Amino acid sequence: MHGEYKTPGGKLVMSDLTVRDGRLRDVVISGDFFLEPPEALALIMESVENLPADATEDEIAEHVRDAVSGDVAMIGFSPEAVAKAVRRAVG
Amino acid sequence: MSVGTRWNDYDWRLIRGEPVAAPVNHAIDEILTRRVGSGEREPTLRFWERLQPEIVIGRFQSVRNEVVEPAAREMGIPITRRITGGGAMYVEVPNVITYSIYAPPELVAGMSFVESYAFLDEWVLRALRALGIDAWYEPINDITSSGGKIGGAAQARRFGAVLHHTTMSYDLNSDRMLRVLRIGKEKLSDKGITSAAKRVGPLRLQTQLPRQSIIAAMIEEFANSYGLEEDVVSDAELADAEELVRSKYGTDEWTYAIP
Repeated sequence: MHGEYKTPGGKLVMSDLTVRDGRLRDVVISGDFFLEPPEALALIMESVENLPADATEDEIAEHVRDAVSGDVAMIGFSPEAVAKAVRRAVG
Repeated sequence: MSVGTRWNDYDWRLIRGEPVAAPVNHAIDEILTRRVGSGEREPTLRFWERLQPEIVIGRFQSVRNEVVEPAAREMGIPITRRITGGGAMYVEVPNVITYSIYAPPELVAGMSFVESYAFLDEWVLRALRALGIDAWYEPINDITSSGGKIGGAAQARRFGAVLHHTTMSYDLNSDRMLRVLRIGKEKLSDKGITSAAKRVGPLRLQTQLPRQSIIAAMIEEFANSYGLEEDVVSDAELADAEELVRSKYGTDEWTYAIP
């Protein structure tokens, strides 16, 4: 399943994932955003992996925000943008 | 702070790049960033030249989501993943101007990422304005004009240095671009336009000048503002870059890191 969300004035976040046993699996987050350090992308994906398929946008954003706290800079996108792209994939 | 103050803290070098294969250009970017970061090289401005067309995707993009791979294969166009974020580009050799800035982090200290993009391309805006283009910066990372978008920049803060590279459209073959790149509706959702081709205002159209004249004007602006000394990619740097093509930029493991 595939979802996209364009941050107004910012960048496009894409999510590709499947739902198995009621959970989000094989989550891939990609897009034309900027992220420092780049390794933080794996943390973002892991934070969404295995969440309940009916997790709300706010709940998903909260998980992403927890994963990137510290020295991570998300430029042109946000935890909320990732959450919106994920929700759009699940539909 | 006046325009030149921070820039003038350094002895800038200029590299007029030799044409090289697609992954070599990206490897040179990493090697020169590392060398500036370690103090082995002075801060440097490099203009790229290319041997072949290429599809370049951003560090965080998915190949499948951005590239029509069967069309790219049929047209024989290699796909390369950049070290920096940002969007996919289809590049034909004579149709773009690409440059890289390799700088110490102190050049942009105290600035936000967004502020540093505009700061590092200020000299380019001055050069374009001197050529009669009403260029301005559209945050986060676009150089644009009333005649359309001119280019886009991307940065990586890595290896103790800042890499800032920008590709500007000199001329456009939108038919081929639209065959190899996927440009979805969502991407254009806040731009108010529907055709990717309409967004661009290539420099040839806006100046009627040869590509090399625009590059010369840019070099002149940089040199007059901040000073610039001719340099080359050294044999050792090129050897390191070629090794990095074998271990990274030329491998499927890197290119398809996000399939």
